[in-house]
Order: sequence, then C-alpha cells, then structure tokens
Amino acid sequence: MTKPSSPVYLEKLTEFSRLLRREGMTVGVQEISDAAELLSAIGFSDRETVRTALQTVFAKSRNEQAAFCRVFDAYFVDEERKKASARAMQEAEEELARRRAAMDEELTFQGKPIEVREDLKEVYLTMPEEEREKLKKRIDRYRDNADRAPGLYDNFIQSIFLKTLLEQQMMAEDAATGNADDPDADLLYREISSFQESDIPKAVALIQRIAQQLSGELTAKRRRGGHSGVLDFRATIRRGLQTGGALTDLRYKKKRMRRRRLVLLCDVSGSMMQFSEFVLQFMKSLSDAAESSRIFVFSEELREVDPFALQNLDGFRHYVRHSGLFGRGTDLGRRAGSALLRPSLRIRPVHHSSGALRCQDRRPRPRRTGAAAGQGQGGQGGLP
Amino acid sequence: MTKEELKLRLQQERYVCSDELVTTLYVSLLLGRPLLIEGAAGVGKTEIAKVMAKALDRELVRLQCYEGLDESKALYEWNYQKQLLSIQVNMGSRSSDELTRSLFSDEYLLERPLLKSIRSEQPVVLLIDEIDKADEEFEAFLLELLSEQQVTVPEIGTIRSRTTPFVVLTSNHARPLSEALRRRCAYLYIDYPDIDKEVAIIEAKLPEVNARLALQVAEAIHTLRENDQILKKPSIAETLDWVAALNALGMKELTAEGLRQTMGFVLKNNEDMEEAAHDEALFAGLS
Repeated sequence: MTKPSSPVYLEKLTEFSRLLRREGMTVGVQEISDAAELLSAIGFSDRETVRTALQTVFAKSRNEQAAFCRVFDAYFVDEERKKASARAMQEAEEELARRRAAMDEELTFQGKPIEVREDLKEVYLTMPEEEREKLKKRIDRYRDNADRAPGLYDNFIQSIFLKTLLEQQMMAEDAATGNADDPDADLLYREISSFQESDIPKAVALIQRIAQQLSGELTAKRRRGGHSGVLDFRATIRRGLQTGGALTDLRYKKKRMRRRRLVLLCDVSGSMMQFSEFVLQFMKSLSDAAESSRIFVFSEELREVDPFALQNLDGFRHYVRHSGLFGRGTDLGRRAGSALLRPSLRIRPVHHSSGALRCQDRRPRPRRTGAAAGQGQGGQGGLP
Repeated sequence: MTKEELKLRLQQERYVCSDELVTTLYVSLLLGRPLLIEGAAGVGKTEIAKVMAKALDRELVRLQCYEGLDESKALYEWNYQKQLLSIQVNMGSRSSDELTRSLFSDEYLLERPLLKSIRSEQPVVLLIDEIDKADEEFEAFLLELLSEQQVTVPEIGTIRSRTTPFVVLTSNHARPLSEALRRRCAYLYIDYPDIDKEVAIIEAKLPEVNARLALQVAEAIHTLRENDQILKKPSIAETLDWVAALNALGMKELTAEGLRQTMGFVLKNNEDMEEAAHDEALFAGLS
C-alpha cells in the first residue's frame, strides 16, 4: 500500500493524534488535516519519510520531537518488533506473577504477615532485585534478636519495610518526573552535591542558557504609559496630515523600553562555598546577559560585585575564596537593612531558588520573598 | 515539485543535506506552512533560506529581527515627506476628500519586507531571521501573516497575499517563542554536523581544498565542539573560514603549529583559545 485510499488511515491518524495529546502535545484539527494531506501525497512506502513528515507537522520543539518519536515507534511498529515486544511483555507478566506468588511469603516475619499498604505492595513487586536482596539481608541481621524478643522487634521490622518501600516509591516518582530525553533537564533536577567533575562544564553551559533566557524574558516586559519627552517627528507629521500639514498635535516617543533590573543576592557563606563555582558562573552569565543587573555577595559582610571584576572570573573566584571576607557564617538580616541596599534598590521578587539542595525542586513550597539565588541557611542553596 | 527534485536542486546549489532535512523542507513547501528552524548559532539555519531561494529560483526577502522592531520597519511606512509635499501642491486644485484618498495610495506607500513578500507577483522566500530577538508583541503581529497569509494596513484595509511565500523563521532560543507562533509553523531542529557531513560541506563549498586537510579540520572542529569547556562552539561558517585560511597559507595538511597560528579563525575569545591550547585530543595525531 503506497497511497492511503480508505477512511481507515484517517481513523488511525486520529488515534495516533490522541496518543500524542496524551503525551502532552497540543494537536489541533489543523495538524491532523495537514498530516492527512501529507500522507495522501507521500504515501506509506517509506517509514522514515512518514516519520519525518509527521514529526514536522506535529512536533514543535525538541522535547515534542522526542515525545513524538516515542509515540511513533510504539504505534507504527513492524511485525518483527511487534512479536519481540509481545514476547517481552509476556515474560514480564510471568515474572510479575511469580513475584506476586512469592510476595506473601516474603512479606512475613516470625510467621506473621507484615502489614503493608496495597500501593506499597505494588512498589515491592516492581523493586529491583538487588534492592529486595538488600532488604532481605537487613531483616536477616535482626532475625536472631527478634527471636529472643519478638514483641520488641515487630514494630522495628515493620518500620524498616515501610521506610524502604516509601523510599522506592519516591525514587520511582522522581524517575517518572525526570526527562530522560533531555540531558539538561536531568542536570537541572539533580542535587548539586551529587554533581561529578564532568558535569560542571555542562552545568555552566546550562547556567549561561538560563541567564540568557532570563534576560530575554525580562526584555520582553514593557513599561506602560507615559512618554519620554522626546518628539516623535514621524508620528507628529502623520498626525498633521489630518489638518493639512499643520502640526497641531504633537506626538512623543514612548519611554525607552528598559530591561528590568535584576538583583542577585548570593550566599557565599561557609556552607555554600562548595557550590560557589556554580553561583559564580551564574553571576558572570547574568552580568553578561543583563547589563543592568546588580549583584551582591554576602556572608557576614555584604558586598556589591563590580561587573568588571566578573570579567576576570579566575581573579574574582580567588578573591571570594581567599579574601577571608567570605566563607564564614550567614548574616544577611543584619546587612540587608544597611545603607548599601536601602537608598538605591527597591527589590521585588522575580525569581527565587528552592530551599533544598536541588537546582530546582518541583514539589510545592511555601512562597518566599526576596530575589535571591543561592540563598540559604545551614548548607542550603541551589541554582535559580 | 517532488522530494527528489528538491533534493537534486539543493545539491546543485552545493548544499549538503540529509534526507530528513529534505523531507522537512518538502513537507513545509507542500503544505505552504512557515518553517521554524531552531538550533545553535552557526549550524546553517539562515543558509537554508538562502539555498531554498536559489533552489526554487525565488527572490529572498529578509527581515532581520531585533529588540524594538515594529510594523513601520517590518511591514510598511508612509512616505510623509511626499505626502506633505502633495498636500501643499494640490491643496487648491483638488477636493479635500480626493486629496486625502490619494495620500493613502500605493504612490506614498513604502514597502517593508513583510509587505513586499505578500504583494510580490512572483512567490518569494521570506526569511524572518532571529525571531527570538524581536518582542512578543511583534510575534503576535506576525500571526495574521503566518496563518492567514494577509496583513491589515489601517488606512488601506486587508491585503491578501498574491502568491504564497515560503517563510523561514530562525531562532537561537534566546527566549522561548509563543505556543501560538509554534503551532502555525512546521518545525525543524538543526544540530552541528557530524565529521562526514562537515567534510562533505567543506568539499562542496571549497572544492580546491586538499581532502586530507578537510578531514583533519573537520576532526579538529568536532573535537572542539565535544569539549564542554569551550564556551563558543565553532560554527560551520568558521570551519569554512578556517579551511580557506589554511589553504591560502598553502598548507596541505593541518599541523600543530598551523593550528596554533590560525586558531583565531575558529575560536573567538581568549578563554576558549587557552582551553584549546591545552586540549590534548585536539593536537593528537598532528605533526
């Protein structure tokens, strides 16, 4: 079949579109209509051509391209892959059934069943084999003690099970929210403390992109109303055409659209020193991208960073780390109200970092005020 | 035009492209949809529009976007001086209604790229370059043109496109584009070429260059792009400049000394040059 001639392919196309929507893509009637027109023109003879053509129509960003490929590969499968997939599914189901049968026996201690919620039982079933083994070994370590004092250890064992299963559940949820197709996203949602040496350049590149985008978004925001006081000659003449060229209605140029000023308060106290490389890079990138930004570093002292100093990042890094001014305790409160800040700055929050040791945390948190990056007490902080 | 014909024409223009790229261009052309191209700086986004103009034998109309770009720079402007002169000259001889009507006619209209592209008798290739540099308001203004192929000039009314221009929008992703704009476009992402493709590009653009030199340069460029410490990755244009410079210096192959001497053609800041100077992988295999 080289040309679609029956309504069956339209039905398939609609079904495919529904699957794309389920992946979070916006698929409208226009896209489906375009896809149908395309398939009529190019036929189905070449799978790769069909894939690229449909991808061009349906996917509108890199993330959407990745999602599209997943759905396409799952939906338009050739016979061999279909069989292999069916075999794998059957094997997985058999394995699950075997585990389910063994689970009741495994979730017992001293002959009594361990009380675990149904959803956690499902977690136990899907746990990796090595994690289950680890849990078993841990329980076995307490078996002798529990034999001697059964009443004492029942709750303890129960809590070990519960804690392990909840941890596994959280890890599974984290994995589900991560985006495996986008390495940047992986880096963005990882704890800074778990960064390897090899991750640093990637993180720096990511920081630069974030700073650039942040600056781009800021420039798109405009002040409303008012004029600059400078005559708009063209507009005045244009207006004057209505009165035969007499310039009775003066028009003024709009206020120059300035970038919104961004204030970065950066914690370089002792607990934050290990993350200072990222924060320094962020400062430099922000300084490069948004010239009107003002950057302050604080520990027990608060100092404004000279943008020129940031141009020589090595020198500035050395200054921050070895001047002795920084790397001590945190006392922003004492310094925030100082004369350095008050007269010139009206700080409004435009961005804030999470309190946890993550670059960005997806969990809902209470709102905080203040435009601060890398701000935290007792070893907290992260990239904005 | 078939896909194969399009591919042939692109090859005739010495444009090295994958099947995937040709399919995307063909699809965009077939549906009459604007093509939004994203990718890092210097991967050849703008070049696609130029090559398509040549391949389709159409005029290339280019609109370079920047912050503050508005309708008067992108769409149209009235020739105010001429209008004022006309008022002064014809004030007594023509009725005011007639005079007013005549002032807002083609004679006084200054076409800017967007208007030019839709009023053209022959279909053109319209390149809207670096759309991410323009403001969101301008993006919204573009929607009418991209989806309805028409623009509205208050004094004249709606002007419908006489022919369908092939519209190419490029973005370096300096800021995220609106969903509305994305939805109206076909989408293409271009990455840096692999070594084989880079060699093919060098051979196509600079056929006089020694094959060994082309391969060595492509490998060196690939190594630099792979190096995460290099902040500004070399673009394809920089590759070509570098090869041309080496060729002009009479080098038949890339040497460590030649690389050091001409590194300024590829890397454009001091930090990157220092990093590259210490990159062992870059100098591996060079005499």
